[in-house]
Amino acid sequence: MNGQTVTKPAKQIILDGLWYDNAIFRQILGICSTLAVTNNVLNTLVMCISLSLVTALSGMTVSALRNWTPRSVRMMVQTLIIAFFVIIVDILLRAYWPEMSRNLGPYVGLIITNCIVMGRCEAFAGTNRPWPSFLDGLFSGLGYSVVLLAIAAFRELLGMGTILGFAMPYFSTHWDKWIIMVMPPGGFFVLAMVLWLCRSVEIKRKS
Amino acid sequence: MKQSRYFAVVYMFVLTAVLSSMLIGLERLTRRQVKTNEQIAFERAVLAVFPQIEIKSAAEIHPVFTRDFVLSDSGAYEYRPSGQLAGYVLPFEGPGFWAPIKGVVGIGMDQKTMTGIRFYEQAETPGLGARIVEPFFYEQFAEKSLTEGSRPVRIRPPSEAGGNDISAITGATQTCVRLEKLLNEAVVQWRVKLQEQGK
Repeated sequence: MNGQTVTKPAKQIILDGLWYDNAIFRQILGICSTLAVTNNVLNTLVMCISLSLVTALSGMTVSALRNWTPRSVRMMVQTLIIAFFVIIVDILLRAYWPEMSRNLGPYVGLIITNCIVMGRCEAFAGTNRPWPSFLDGLFSGLGYSVVLLAIAAFRELLGMGTILGFAMPYFSTHWDKWIIMVMPPGGFFVLAMVLWLCRSVEIKRKS
Repeated sequence: MKQSRYFAVVYMFVLTAVLSSMLIGLERLTRRQVKTNEQIAFERAVLAVFPQIEIKSAAEIHPVFTRDFVLSDSGAYEYRPSGQLAGYVLPFEGPGFWAPIKGVVGIGMDQKTMTGIRFYEQAETPGLGARIVEPFFYEQFAEKSLTEGSRPVRIRPPSEAGGNDISAITGATQTCVRLEKLLNEAVVQWRVKLQEQGK
């Protein structure tokens, strides 16, 4: 039983999620989707909103049930809850935004296996109250989103000369488009540079 | 608090039942909308295989489809703008590498020349097989001929593809092999039906 409750101020939860424990460049979690959906800002945006909501709501639910859930089955319960919210997102997209559902294809379903969601459920929600767990999930998701959107903007701009599908001055006309940026290798290059940059900043700040 | 080991089983069972019922409820509520979306995706694909059809907004799709297309006994839709037969649209579907591939191919009056092809449902490998929905691949089908025999369409490696062949996607061999098979099966079946009807 996970009876004990750890408290951490809301401000700290938010800062940890966005920077100090950032899922992408501190914990290196959720890399699969980072590489896969960042070749276009709109797809990334929908993916980020879905992931943030799923992480927040799953965290809250896992936390609400934490005093009843037997320890031996807690991971099964977490997976079940995460899958529940992911399927809700999937059904809503299919019904009300079919183009996006087709664009994201299998990636929505794969949120279930995104390590960030289960990571937050296991590391935080299991020992905290529902509201802080919701905040923790939401801001971990937003920390992920900020990094992904930066990567996506960079890739879409250099690779297609557009942002959110709108042609950008200079990049859509004079720029020789780097097609590799919107192909899988581009994801690796940009992600590596983001890791390098963010970690260098963090090292500087500490010293 | 000490619990019996049965508690975990019952707990899991109850939780699964509750969450699943909620999902089933949501699925039922949205089922009709999803069906409509699928129908529109199909109709959009049908209209897209004839380059001469211009659609300005999504609202036009359904009216144009119901006005100009008639499902015939051969399994294909007949394209009849202003009543005159101007071509055929043959729907096809079958197993892809991961999930079913569904699409439509437009065929001209001569019952040989393809006017275009579109896929409206697929879940092939992103970046490889899923590229069948990209213009560089599907645009190859336009103006190619369906040859006689059991292999009317040939999808071959780019280095071996002749003038009437479709260049396969590198790294997506399985998708291309299956796509060729299901497309050819549909064409052959359609020809048999046409012959039976003496058209």
